[in-house]
Amino acid sequence: MSHWSDTLPVPSGQRRDQVPRDHSIYPQLLEITLHLRQAMREHFVQLTSRQGLSLEERKHTQAIREKEALLSCLICRMINLLQSEAASDLELQVPLPSEDSRGDVRYGERAQLSGQPDPVPQLSDCEAAFVSRDLSNRGIDISVFYQSSFQDYNAYQKDKYHKDKNTLGFINLGTSENKLCMDLMTERLQERDMNCIEDALLQYPDWRGQPFLREEVARFLTYYCRAPTQLDPENVVVLNGCCSVFSALAMVLCDPGEAFLVPAPFYGGFAFSSRLYAKVELIPVYLESEVTVTNTQPFQLTVDKLEEALLEARFEGKKVRGLVLINPQNPVGDIYSPDSLMKYLEFAKRYNLHVIIDEIYMLSVFDESITFHSVLSMKSLPDRNRTHVIWGTSKDFGISGFRFGALYTHNKEVVSAVSAFGYLHSISGIAQHKLCQLLQNTEWIDKVYLPTNCYRLREAHKYITAKLKALEIPFHNSSSGLYVWINLKKYLDPCTFEEERLLYCRFLDNKLLLSRGKAYMCKEPGWFCLIFADELPRLKLAMRRFCDVLEEQKEAWIVKQLEDAMRE
Amino acid sequence: MFTLPQKDFSAPTTCLGPTCLQDLGSSHGDDLEGECSRKLDQKLPELPGVGDSAMLSPNTSYLSSRGRMIKWFWDSAEEGYRTYHMDEYDENKNPSGIINLGVSENKLCFDLLSWRLSQSDMQRVEPSLLQYADWRGHLFLREEVAKFLSFYCKSPAPLRPENVVVLNGGASLFSALATVLCEAGEAFLIPTPYYGAITQHVCLYGNVRLACVYLDSEVTGLDTRPFQLTVEKLEMALREAHSEGVKVKGLILINPQNPLGDIYSPEELQEYLVFAKRHKLHVIVDEVYMLSVFEESAGYRSVLSLERLPDPQRTHVMWATSKDFGMSGLRFGTLYTENQDVATAVASLCRYHGLSGLVQYQMAQLLRDRDWINQVYLPENHARLKAAHTYVSEELRALGIPFLSRGAGFFIWVDLRKYLPKGTFEEEMLLWRRFLDNKVLLSFGKAFECKEPGWFRFVFSDQAHRLCLGMQRVRQVLAGKSQVAEDPPSSQSQEPSDQRR
Repeated sequence: MSHWSDTLPVPSGQRRDQVPRDHSIYPQLLEITLHLRQAMREHFVQLTSRQGLSLEERKHTQAIREKEALLSCLICRMINLLQSEAASDLELQVPLPSEDSRGDVRYGERAQLSGQPDPVPQLSDCEAAFVSRDLSNRGIDISVFYQSSFQDYNAYQKDKYHKDKNTLGFINLGTSENKLCMDLMTERLQERDMNCIEDALLQYPDWRGQPFLREEVARFLTYYCRAPTQLDPENVVVLNGCCSVFSALAMVLCDPGEAFLVPAPFYGGFAFSSRLYAKVELIPVYLESEVTVTNTQPFQLTVDKLEEALLEARFEGKKVRGLVLINPQNPVGDIYSPDSLMKYLEFAKRYNLHVIIDEIYMLSVFDESITFHSVLSMKSLPDRNRTHVIWGTSKDFGISGFRFGALYTHNKEVVSAVSAFGYLHSISGIAQHKLCQLLQNTEWIDKVYLPTNCYRLREAHKYITAKLKALEIPFHNSSSGLYVWINLKKYLDPCTFEEERLLYCRFLDNKLLLSRGKAYMCKEPGWFCLIFADELPRLKLAMRRFCDVLEEQKEAWIVKQLEDAMRE
Repeated sequence: MFTLPQKDFSAPTTCLGPTCLQDLGSSHGDDLEGECSRKLDQKLPELPGVGDSAMLSPNTSYLSSRGRMIKWFWDSAEEGYRTYHMDEYDENKNPSGIINLGVSENKLCFDLLSWRLSQSDMQRVEPSLLQYADWRGHLFLREEVAKFLSFYCKSPAPLRPENVVVLNGGASLFSALATVLCEAGEAFLIPTPYYGAITQHVCLYGNVRLACVYLDSEVTGLDTRPFQLTVEKLEMALREAHSEGVKVKGLILINPQNPLGDIYSPEELQEYLVFAKRHKLHVIVDEVYMLSVFEESAGYRSVLSLERLPDPQRTHVMWATSKDFGMSGLRFGTLYTENQDVATAVASLCRYHGLSGLVQYQMAQLLRDRDWINQVYLPENHARLKAAHTYVSEELRALGIPFLSRGAGFFIWVDLRKYLPKGTFEEEMLLWRRFLDNKVLLSFGKAFECKEPGWFRFVFSDQAHRLCLGMQRVRQVLAGKSQVAEDPPSSQSQEPSDQRR
């Protein structure tokens, strides 16, 4: 930090006398920012070029790199903003030949053209710092948004815990992945039927997904969703992941700036999928943990709340095009009863809203006493042309690296429009074949995979919840998904999102990656999402780190109390 | 020169490129909806059966206005290909089906590839391949790509894995680059004729348009060959776009060129790059056919082989296995750029353009196998491409039909202008339809934004028996041409376009 403050005043000092001439501070600010950027880069080069040998040092370097990426993105954005202002202040033109000289520019005169003075002469010496000009504003926005949300995940990717090779690495209980059945999946995917290379798989596909796969998906969903009638492969579009399906749906159902309602807390990934490409807003329908007369269950979704949120959004001039439901819910783990589901759908119909239902955890219901009802199992949908179902293999089969997501909708218009995105979200033919084989083998799924998976999920859940109970930490979810939604409010003093963030960082410092409530748009600070679908040894170690942090947190709290008391 | 879509709505490729999807915020919604339906009215007489009533009356549609445009585009663009799919030629099952000489795919080496991909080293499955990974692509693959490109592009210094981003195909890469380099409504320059699907790739999400640099078949002035790209033409197109109020952010070069099969010399490349640097334009160099140069004498050089790039921070190179390894269904594409901001921004979108871990592993194995590539695959592939090329070009010569081809790519750019009495795009479309009626699918010049009606792209990278039959059907149509030409324009004429590479 001191390094920056040393260098910063230099350019500003140089420029101070020129203020009157420039009429504005923007060019000056721009230059200061460019210098800042330069200084920051040099600083980081210095910091990271010290090649430490020890693991700790390398990790430290890694952390610095992450920070650098974030900072440079932010600075990029500032420079971009300043540049446009500075340019307009100085009445600078796009570096093109001016109107009157246009006719005279000939091939041979290029040299002269290129010799033109730089349109922003005072910046020409920082040519290297002009990266800001390389990205569009939305490009910077995408980059910053992504970096800021995924830097910790990236840190984990580069420094993963390994029981022999990297015992000090990160354990990730923050990303919703099922790692419990890797043995079964690895074995299954190595079987002979998986390896087929046909000409057709190597050629351009049907962009909606290969017909054989769409047929299989329709059959699979008919069976597992208990559809009253056979589902139609023509209503299926297959893309490389559910986030791609969501992104494409947001594109074709909304225009930029329009919105979907989503009960919050909700899976944060949707925020990306709606924002990065589609520029669609997600309006949270805030749910509360407290049980009251109207709120008979924690985080209960009611039509009243939906209605209220919709009217409020409309009052603010927002155009709401749909409602997004996740069932089984992520992160609370609730399963909507057919009755409540029907009420939500009727609400949507009443207001001509589309409903996107994400049923990506439908086969991960591990409590046998609870039955999940897919929206596709309903005899009649209130508004079937506005009901769109998403499912994928990432969670239920624990193969998030496979990149497969499917859309099922009766609406032919939506099928067509989403299909156009097949160009950009297609799956390799070879992978499509494997997926088809996987989904086809109902016997293996029913007799081997699902029972084992549910058993293991149940055991892991039992382990985690026993720990949480011992720590007297309240939590939700006892039936489905890969996660528990836990309340760490009592460890926050004061109970704010800033404290939540600090606690999150403390977990991170202890090499434990969790997800915090804020990332799920939860309205109350202090909630965390803990993914338990991991192998027991890792889970045990993770819980040890978890307890350590909470212990430290408690001690720090006591120390603070004592200090306060002594001061009085 | 620079066609604004509002003025020229004659082909699907121009319809979307342009401002249609741009800025559809609520404040402009009404205007644009009006505009869309107006356009549609214009278009309708030519489009029976394509699009549907919902498009006509936006109020009854379930889709957003951009969704309606996207759907319309999809419905019309896929038409030719759908016709083909419903009636695909099969030697035994459907000998009177359609022969596809329209889609740029290499169907000559499936035997070699199937063999290679079935080897035991390809079948590895491990947990890390099944889980979320680095969205830029697994490191092992990016390392392999960097080595591969260093070797085959003959880069002066080894290329670095940090500069590599892996995605599910070139289309995705165009989409991501357009989004992170341009604001909505901004443009890339592109010399025409060009592979038309790029229009859609940059538009679907990015809402970026293409500003055409129109090239002529006639050799005049400083040009030394037909459809030659010169800096003068680039300057002119840039000024034109500027005067139309369109902000140009970059230049797209396809090298070896599609559909011309042309190759830019290192000197030419350098000139274009210097032009781009002068105007602070990004350059996207699509080198997806770089290993499909089957004439040694063509002297192809990758942009990565240049000693010094004029503006390395704004030069972005694309490559994929779709063409050079004849696996368009595999969906593997890669970006190489020294600009970390661009690489990071593209990687931020890779969540939506990810490639299965198992396929990433297979790709790494394939690219690593230098022996097989150099000793088996490339020599055999080039020999087969050359033989097929020789066959088709001799057929064309025998028919007295002029064409362009310089020994790269899978296609020949064929001049059928003499078969169009009035030389209009309408006639070009009719001729295309006549080919399709005679069960041979070709691509017509308009789909490549060629400014002269009458050019067609013939894809020759197919098995001999299909190629023979295809050419026979082409001959039949051209022989019967004089008598059909007098027919009144068919009311069923449609305007599909070739959306594949």
